[in-house]
Order: sequence, then structure tokens, then C-alpha cells
Amino acid sequence: MTELRFKEIKTLKFERAAIERGYANQTLYVNLSKPEISIKPVTQKMKETFIGGKGFDLWLLWNAVKGTTQWDDPENAICVSCGPLGGTPIYPGSGKSIVTTLSPTTGSVMDSNVGGYFGPYLKFSGFDAIEIQGEAERETVVLIDGIDEKVQVLEVSGLPEDAYETSRILTDHFGQGKPRNISVISSGPGARHTLIGCLNFTWYDAGRKRARYKQAGRGGTGTVFSRKNIKALVVRWDAVTLSTNRPSDEEALKEVAKMHSHEIVELDPKQNEMARIGTTHLVTIMNDYDLLPTTNYRYGQHPQAANIGAEVYRRLFDKGFDGCWIGCTVACSHGIKDFVPMTGPYKGMKVFVDGPEYETIAGCGSNLGIFDPYTVTEINFYCDAYGIDTISFGTGLAFAMECFEMGLINETHTGGLDLSFGNRISAMEILHQMATGKGFGGIVGQGIRKMKEIFSKEYGADLKIMQDIGMEAKGLEFSEYMTKESLAQQGGYGLALKGPQHDEAWLIFLDMVHNYMPTFEQKAEALHWFPMFRTWFGLCGLCKLPWNDIVPEDNAETLEPAKIMKHVEWYARFFSAVTGRKSKPDDLITMSEAVYNFQRLFNLKMGFGRREHDAIPYRAAGPVTKEEYESRKERYDKQLAEKHGVDITGKGTEEKVQILRRLREEMYEKLKDAVYKRRGWTADGIPKVATVKRLKIDFPEVLELLKANGVTE
Amino acid sequence: MIKVRGKDYPWRKGMTVADLLKEIGDSYPYAVVRVNEKAISKPNFDTTVVPDNSEVYLIPMIAGG
Repeated sequence: MTELRFKEIKTLKFERAAIERGYANQTLYVNLSKPEISIKPVTQKMKETFIGGKGFDLWLLWNAVKGTTQWDDPENAICVSCGPLGGTPIYPGSGKSIVTTLSPTTGSVMDSNVGGYFGPYLKFSGFDAIEIQGEAERETVVLIDGIDEKVQVLEVSGLPEDAYETSRILTDHFGQGKPRNISVISSGPGARHTLIGCLNFTWYDAGRKRARYKQAGRGGTGTVFSRKNIKALVVRWDAVTLSTNRPSDEEALKEVAKMHSHEIVELDPKQNEMARIGTTHLVTIMNDYDLLPTTNYRYGQHPQAANIGAEVYRRLFDKGFDGCWIGCTVACSHGIKDFVPMTGPYKGMKVFVDGPEYETIAGCGSNLGIFDPYTVTEINFYCDAYGIDTISFGTGLAFAMECFEMGLINETHTGGLDLSFGNRISAMEILHQMATGKGFGGIVGQGIRKMKEIFSKEYGADLKIMQDIGMEAKGLEFSEYMTKESLAQQGGYGLALKGPQHDEAWLIFLDMVHNYMPTFEQKAEALHWFPMFRTWFGLCGLCKLPWNDIVPEDNAETLEPAKIMKHVEWYARFFSAVTGRKSKPDDLITMSEAVYNFQRLFNLKMGFGRREHDAIPYRAAGPVTKEEYESRKERYDKQLAEKHGVDITGKGTEEKVQILRRLREEMYEKLKDAVYKRRGWTADGIPKVATVKRLKIDFPEVLELLKANGVTE
Repeated sequence: MIKVRGKDYPWRKGMTVADLLKEIGDSYPYAVVRVNEKAISKPNFDTTVVPDNSEVYLIPMIAGG
């Protein structure tokens, strides 16, 4: 390996801003083309309207790009922000960063919420957010040094290709003997050669003495990062205490933080054991309820699901503290020590794997027909090392595998690879090909929307069936839950602003298992409240897991158990104690509503954000093929006869598939109507003028945008 | 003897998760119950036998990813 060398391109010395009530009150701007480093003020209006985190990112990005800007234009910006509550060491889940940019796969705004120390360290170094525009001529590291009060753009040579080694070397180099002072964002070769690149954010594991990783996975943020020729962002900060964030009322903060933290310590071992097994408990539970995506979401169950479930990973995970933020008692970021890959550049070497979590297991396991925990672990490892999103990898390859099994593509297209479901060797080969962009892996790495185009135009594959089975919406691959039997979750995915990711709403159990929302209006209410409250975590720099993955023992006795109002009230107290802005639970929803609607308008600005863009593939709503129908014949026949009053006597499967499809597609459209109405949007899914005025986001350019799109009231 | 939510509860041979929930009279619609380290989902309540000396946890909510 060549020697590590840095060449100083630009340096800005600054006097670190004092943190006040969770804010640094300024953001950092870097333009890699010019190059330029400057500091922008955060206005009171920004704080009041956008709160922080994703809200600040969106505002910076909105002002950076035009409606015609493409993801690979230099003017596209990557923004990373924390939020006013981020960086609180004793409140569980308070170390999140949010990344936003224009996505290579959707063409519109993408946001991704990620753990690790970067966001809090950035804020404590004096910046609520960083906004990076332009493209560097050569590989570049941007250093934000909050201790020595300087920001540097550094040309770099001698760093390895993959994210793991890059982050390790930079942590050693800049840590000056204190590696915990460093957090690195890096990507890898797969991000450069595909459109589904992710970003790895580090946190330093003092117990194991190594940099650990969390991923901002969705929508190709890593691809934009690589396009800008950014090798890494490095932030350097010192020790963090409760006072570092300068809360308005430290005693009130201590009180509420201790309550939440202690509750998790007491109840997590009695509930889902996230501190021991992360989110892996979901695998067998989803399987039991026919919700575990299997072979490209055709089915929700497989007899071998337990092979990739919690009972296996419980034994594989290395024991020890796994909190991706200081003092988090959920501590769910587990990893596997001394794993030995069977393929690729690390073949035969012992490595540490960060993960897997549920999404990776379902996406890279059951959805590919793979039920071997070691293959899932190896895919997890190389996705991170290459900088590839495990969800888009899994869902994208599952689509390609089904196309292969259907005969829509064949070995002449795949370079001789047998892409049948369950072929572990081929799955690994596709992933390694993504690291170079060569071979069929380079095509799978373009994402499902582009694959459909290539398969249709170049291979003559039937576009209609691919539209039905290609599990993407808005250009983003679905995350890993079956939605066929939950209309509310079809909306949770299809109406999500950035595309089908479950971070806006996860309503499957409430809807399908418990049937708590039988009417369209009830579903619409849930598709208002839950996305709004979940958005709030991204504004503040928080993780949602402490809210509803560990539940108070008396929660069942409350009026609306799904909302966990005791915790919502604690969050309102948390916000009040840090920012000094006295808030009640309803205020948190209003805060989110403003940012949520602004993001919808941002989609509109980019040429999306209308009813037609909330479409979902039929595979998400019901059985596409005869085989799928017949596998759950009793269920579907019963629904047709009893729920819809259809006389199914003498009808063949194909006819019943078509009838069910018509009914379910009608229901999805009715759901859209109800949700748009509840959210104060037009029938075309655009926020009304009255809505933007109520939410105080009626900026002149917003009103102009609405007028240009025919919305005047 | 088994423990349910940390409290001792008499065990009998062949007792299923569904039997146990009926006997303790908790009407909350649990989707998952943990028996020791294993998560048991409602579709399997009727067929899953609770072993003696088990620790049983009633999981109040499955909240997704």
C-alpha cells in the first residue's frame, strides 16, 4: 500500500461557536469545486420552522438546488445534521445524524437517519449542519476539527478502497492517540460504481478498541458522496457530558433522561432484548405472521426462517456494550467478531462485522431464498465495506432473481450466473461485481427502476410483469415487510415522501393483526399521526427505538396504546428542557407537519410529489401470479366472498386474481383520497395554500411553486 | 413452577401458551409471548407447550424496524 499523504487545499480557521440550548446557531458550507469553506448563520426563523436535523438539511438543500438539478450535478448538495437534542449522552438514542441529498435512484430528495458520533461531534465543533456542494478534482478528505478550531479540505492519497479500512486508518491518523475523539463518514467502491451507495458513520468502541459502523443506507447517498470525490468526512471533538449541549434546564433534562434510561434497563430484558439481540427478534415473528419477505415478496413465510433468526444470531453476536451513541441503554448495534468470509478480498481473514439487523437479514436472506446466517453475514460485511445499501441490494437482487426464474432474463444476460433463488455463490458474485461496476452486478446496482428499463429495452423482457413484481416506488427499493394484507402499510410505504422505507409508518400489526383501524378514515388518521411523530425524531437527532420498542408496563391501560403517550410526553419534556421552548405532545406533531409538508413540496419542486408518484407495484398490494394466489387460496377466496361479496363459484384462479386486483387497487386509491384529505392536500396530493399558511411555510417560492402547479387555495 | 412477569405461577404438564394466557385472565391482545429466550407468536400459542421452570414474558408490542 502506498504511503498515506495529505495535501492542504483549503483551510478555514474559526472561533468555535458556543452551544446554546442545543444549537450552535451556524452551519458549515464547503464547496469542493471552487474550493470554498464558509460559515452561514442559523436564523431564529430556521429554528422555529425547521427545528434542526432533517429540517435544516432540507432548507439548506432547497436553497442549493434548482428544480432541474440532477443528482450528479455539482450543485447537488449533501447535507448532514444532528438536531437540537442530539448529543445528549444520558437520554437513550440521542446521537443520530440525518443525511439528505438528491438521490440517484429517485431524482428527488432523499433522507437517511444514521447512528454514530458524527452529527453530535459536528455540532459541538460549532456547526448544526454541514452542506457540501461541488466536486473535487481528486480524492478528498474534509476535516472538521472542533478542538483545533479549523476546517480543512485535504487532497488525499494512499487510502485503501473499502470503507472499513479507510475509517480505521483515518481514526488512527486524526485521533492523535484518542480515537474516541474521531468520527468518520466514508463510502466505498460499490458506491462509486452503483447508484445504491451507502455511507458508513463511525463510533468508537472503547471496549473492543475499534471503530464501529452504522449506515445511512437509503437512496444512494454514498453514490453522491463518491461522485463528489469525497473519500471521507472526519470530525474531531473532545469528551461529551450532559452540559456540552448546554441545555436550557439541566435538572429537568436529567430527570426525564434518567426515567427513560432506567425504564429501558428494566424492561428491555423482559421484552424484545434489543440490548442482546438487536432487531433480529423480528425474523421469526414476521415469519409467523406471513410478513417475512420471501423470494421477492411473493410469500411471507418459509420453513427455514428460524435458521436466520434471533436464536442463531444470539449465539453469533459478540457480547459487550453496543451503543452507537454514548450512554444509550438500547445499545442494539451488535456485531460478529472473528468472522471469516468465504469469498472476496477478505476471504480467509478474520473480520469484525457490524450487524446484521432485521432489514439486512430479511433483504439479503429470506428475500433471496437464502437461509444461511453466514452468507447473510458475509453480504452484510461486503455491502458495508463496498459502501452499498443492504436493503436495495437485497430487494434489487430479489427482483433480478425472480426475472431469472421467470425466464425474463437468462444466463446470456447474467454473464453465465445462475440467479435462481437461494444461489448463495451467485449472490456473493453479484455483490463483488458491484465493487467494480462490471458484469451483471453493475446492472443490478443501478436499482430496480433502471433494471426494468434495461431488461425491457435491451433484453426484450415484458415490462408489464416487471412493473408488477419490481418492488420499488418513487425509484427506491422497498424495505423488508410484506404489505399484501395491510392496506394501511401499503400507504405507509407508498405515501412515504422519499419512497418505501418503514421509518415513516409501521402499521402492519395495528392494522392487520389487531384490526384497530378498519375504516379508511382511521387508516388516514394513523397515516397522519405516525409519520408526523416519526419525522420529529429526524428533526431532533434522535433514534425512534426507545419510543416504541420498549414499552411501559402500564401502556396497555392507556387510551391509545400504539402511540405510547407516556414516552411522547417524556419527549416533549426532553425538547423543552434542552431548547427552552416549552412544548406539549401536540406541538411535536405540528413541528413535524411543517417539515413534512415542506419535503412534499420539495418533491413537487423536483418534478414529483403528485398522486401519480405515490403508486406502488401490485406485488405490494396482492398476489400477482396464480401461484401466489393458490398458496393462500383459502384467505383470498374468503376475502372475495365474505368481504367483497363476490360470487366465486366456478371462477378460475386467473379470474379471481384479476377481480381481487381490481378491488385492492380501488381500495388503495380510496386510501390516498382519505390521507390527502387528512393531511390538508389536494386530490392530486399537493399541500393546499391554507395548509402551508397554517404551518408557516408559505415562503414566496413555495406559493409560486403551488401557483405554477395550479394550487391557489 | 414457572415465572410469569417475574411472579411465580403454578405449572402443569401440557400447558400451552394459550392455556396460560386464559388462566391468568389477561385480556390484552398479545401478539407475542416470550418463553425463556424464544419469541412465540399468536398463531403458535395453541401449539406451544410451556416447559416447567420457564420464565414467561408477555410482550406488550411489536413495533417493527
